[in-house]
Amino acid sequence: MATVTNWIDHLNKPAEEVAGAIYPGAGSSETLLVILGFVVWIGWHVLTARSESEELERLSRKRHGANDHKSNIAEW
Amino acid sequence: MTDQLGALTTIFTEFYYWVTVVLMFLIHVGFCMYEVGASRYKHHQHTLMKNTMLIPLVTVTWFLFGWWIYWAFPTGPGLAPSIMNESTALITDDSAFSATWYKATSDLMAVNLGDHISGVFWAAFLLFSWTAASIVSGAIIERITTFAFGILAIAIGSVFWTIDAAWGWHFDGWMLKLLGYHDAYASGVIHAIAGGFALGVLMVLGPRIGKFSSSGEPRNIGPRNPWLVTVGLFLIYTGFWGFYAACNIPIFDLGPEYGMEGISYWTATNIYVTPTTLSGITFNFLMSLSGGLLAGYWIAKGDPFWTYSSGLAGVICASAGNDLYHPIQAMIIGMIGVVIAYKLHYWVERKFKIDDAVGAVAVHGYAGFVGLVICGFVLNGYPSSGYSVGAMWDGTTYATINPLGQFIGALIMFVVLGLIPGYVIAKILHGMGKLRIPRDVEIAGLDYEMMESAKKDERAVSSATR
Repeated sequence: MATVTNWIDHLNKPAEEVAGAIYPGAGSSETLLVILGFVVWIGWHVLTARSESEELERLSRKRHGANDHKSNIAEW
Repeated sequence: MTDQLGALTTIFTEFYYWVTVVLMFLIHVGFCMYEVGASRYKHHQHTLMKNTMLIPLVTVTWFLFGWWIYWAFPTGPGLAPSIMNESTALITDDSAFSATWYKATSDLMAVNLGDHISGVFWAAFLLFSWTAASIVSGAIIERITTFAFGILAIAIGSVFWTIDAAWGWHFDGWMLKLLGYHDAYASGVIHAIAGGFALGVLMVLGPRIGKFSSSGEPRNIGPRNPWLVTVGLFLIYTGFWGFYAACNIPIFDLGPEYGMEGISYWTATNIYVTPTTLSGITFNFLMSLSGGLLAGYWIAKGDPFWTYSSGLAGVICASAGNDLYHPIQAMIIGMIGVVIAYKLHYWVERKFKIDDAVGAVAVHGYAGFVGLVICGFVLNGYPSSGYSVGAMWDGTTYATINPLGQFIGALIMFVVLGLIPGYVIAKILHGMGKLRIPRDVEIAGLDYEMMESAKKDERAVSSATR
């Protein structure tokens, strides 16, 4: 996975070979990583939308008044 | 980077943009403070989290596709050929200006010893994206779902403002060539579009409960924590300095760039690669800020909320031409923008029952729009680019700055890329039942459950003696 295993050897290469990507998996893993990025992004929306809907429904059913939250404040 | 001068220039530029990113982070800190200060106690925590979560959402999507859009669409596509390589398809070609290099799968979008600038340049634009989304966030507090705001933030932050930046901010943008569009510090490309987008969302979202009386008279729901609002706006001012610096290229030799044989001219330039100076824009930033504050204090009769916001509106209004204005011109333009934005805010509120909780549509949208139009008159005849000057509608050269082009540009920013997408996406979310929180939750307060679950511990702590 390591793209560079020896910096001295790497920097001694021709300039066009030195100037390049040095992250792990360079040249072979980018597409997979981007797909993973999309999955994390969309997945987050799905998970949090579900929990937000549940929270809003639960709170809505309780029908608290506009000033009820003040009883939850212990000190100002 | 094989010679010392080249290395110094490269590392200086890399560091320059990196510093602007750090400074611009303060804009978001300011927006968070400002929004929480403007919201009511029972909504504080959700208000804060809504604005905070736009950071990762816009950042991830900016990496996945937002940055690519900026490089893909300067030519429309198909509206005007690239001046640089005559291509009309920067999306797919393999030129030096191609969007191909900025796809998320590109090896330039990571640590790469052949590229010392893409990441910091990407981040500078990303911070602009956060700002665009954060402007919308303030207007819609206390009644939108976090899910809906997340979608809207991505739409404005990683899609629509990026398209406008490609069209009107990229040095090869078709709006420069066809319209002579000029917007050096983003009156339109950030502020007018974000203000227009917020207005589109507000038209669907509706006002907060209690904002209007049964007879339709608006009620003032003032900031709950004026000190948080104050510090927040000061931080936004501070971050705005970083934004101005980020809109410049710090050091550039224009002689060879313009094809002038044997001539070397090193200077800072604006984003359109025409000369300006950090000195000049410092004059104008402060004078337009002062003009905004003076006008705001006067027209709002010393109201702190509007006076602070007016300082920001003053800068926003003058920003389109602050690379070239005289400082007194910048001050007067800032004043004009504030008066128009303030008057329009209350007219729209009364007439259309629009509840813009923090005045974002006015401060960013109206002031930005007006600033673009004024710029067309004051800078009429200046080149919109240093590369060549041609006629309006030509498309193969760059039109000069002119009033009609700026007015059309303002409409594109505020209405076409701002208001309409905001309205349409909000309508879709509304149709899905995902846009607005339930009425009972709005009355109880979004934070009710959080506060209730902490109540037992809070009471124990507050009465504890040891």
